[in-house]
Amino acid sequence: MKLFRRAHRRAPSYGPDSADPALLTAIAAGEAEALEILHRRHAPWLRARLNYRCSDPDQVDAALQETFLAVWKNAGSFTPRPGDTDAGAWLWTIAIRQLISQLRRRANRWISDIEAEPYETIGDASAEETVLLNIEHGPLGTALHSLSPELRAAIQATVLDGLTVREAARILQIPEGTVKTRVMRAKARLREALTS
Amino acid sequence: MSGWHLTPAQAHDYAARRSDEITAMSVEAHLMHCAPCRTLMPADEQWLADGWASLRDVVDRPRRGPVETLLSLAGLRAETAKLLAATPRLYQAWLGSTVVVLAAALVAAHVMPRGSLMFVFLAPVVPLVGVALAYGRGVDPAHTLASVTPMAGQRLLFLRTCSVLVPALLLCTGAALLLPYTTSAWDAVFWLLPSLALVAGSLLLGRWIHLSAASGIVGALWLAVLGLVSLSGQTVPVGVFAPAAQLWWGVLLSALLGLLLLRARTA
Repeated sequence: MKLFRRAHRRAPSYGPDSADPALLTAIAAGEAEALEILHRRHAPWLRARLNYRCSDPDQVDAALQETFLAVWKNAGSFTPRPGDTDAGAWLWTIAIRQLISQLRRRANRWISDIEAEPYETIGDASAEETVLLNIEHGPLGTALHSLSPELRAAIQATVLDGLTVREAARILQIPEGTVKTRVMRAKARLREALTS
Repeated sequence: MSGWHLTPAQAHDYAARRSDEITAMSVEAHLMHCAPCRTLMPADEQWLADGWASLRDVVDRPRRGPVETLLSLAGLRAETAKLLAATPRLYQAWLGSTVVVLAAALVAAHVMPRGSLMFVFLAPVVPLVGVALAYGRGVDPAHTLASVTPMAGQRLLFLRTCSVLVPALLLCTGAALLLPYTTSAWDAVFWLLPSLALVAGSLLLGRWIHLSAASGIVGALWLAVLGLVSLSGQTVPVGVFAPAAQLWWGVLLSALLGLLLLRARTA
């Protein structure tokens, strides 16, 4: 009967210093220790970042928990772009979505879970979004200062956090149309500030 | 990216939610693609350990097999599904020997004159042997442990009997379909009612004596009766399976089941 037992897939060798894709391959093969390494590496900054989106530490912890469970189940679906040794963006995408569904679940328990949207790595951004993603360099910081908090929040949710308009509407608790107009207005304002 | 990196102070401010919005946005955009700066985030060891402990709790749970998933899809409770799916593992040897015995019976039926008698004799006994090995001291290595759980007793006995009967009946039906003279669906299931009646009989008898002994007695009785019938020159012991006899088997089976249910209710 041993013949029929599922042969344990050979996991690639990995260690605490392995790159994220190697760890994810090991996780996909069922290695719990690889998940522990990934958890240790990414949970702190994800937690810090989620804390800016939600002030309830319990919900943030629950969302993080769900995030790593999702990683455990879907590690096989991670496809690194060539030369990319980092899963940070992918993990963030999962984490922010988990936080949104967490908040939603808490708010309306009677509404069924949001339909799962595929986890896509953010990064295939338009040219102006690429500029925005380089906030830390150059004059963009001052330009952002000139935005009103509402416009800034809209830009943050859609561009920095990589959310769809629908998800941004959910986390900001404003209608989708408002998100769209705010993002457009913010981008126009920024373009003006950067080109003048 | 170029030389810009987080200073430890910035990282601490960010983690403590003291950064202003613009700095926070810069930090976030930078963290997304700079792994070294992420390690600057202060890690709360206690929090990490707690988080991992509860993750491990879920991650370490055994993944459910296909049989178990199917059973719980059919509406069974999770623990019942697990029990039913795990039970056949207890009788791997029995399953193996069942296949061998049925294969031998098939070979005999094809090669020897009147060889199909062997199948007729054996088919009702095969599930009985499985049931005999289903429950009780000396059969189940974990019986002492299992007998003190709330599941033990009638409930466990019936659940295990079911999980033995399903593969046994499937195997016997498969073998019956391969018999040389099988022409209709009727030929494939003629042994079913006697077989179930024998099982029910041994379960009932198992109320008073050890289940293995009960099954042994019932099985021996069956073989003895059939042997006598065929030795006494009756050319057709298959008469035991004739449509009229099936009626009697049906009556016997329902009577036994009724008694079993009655006993289970009063127990």
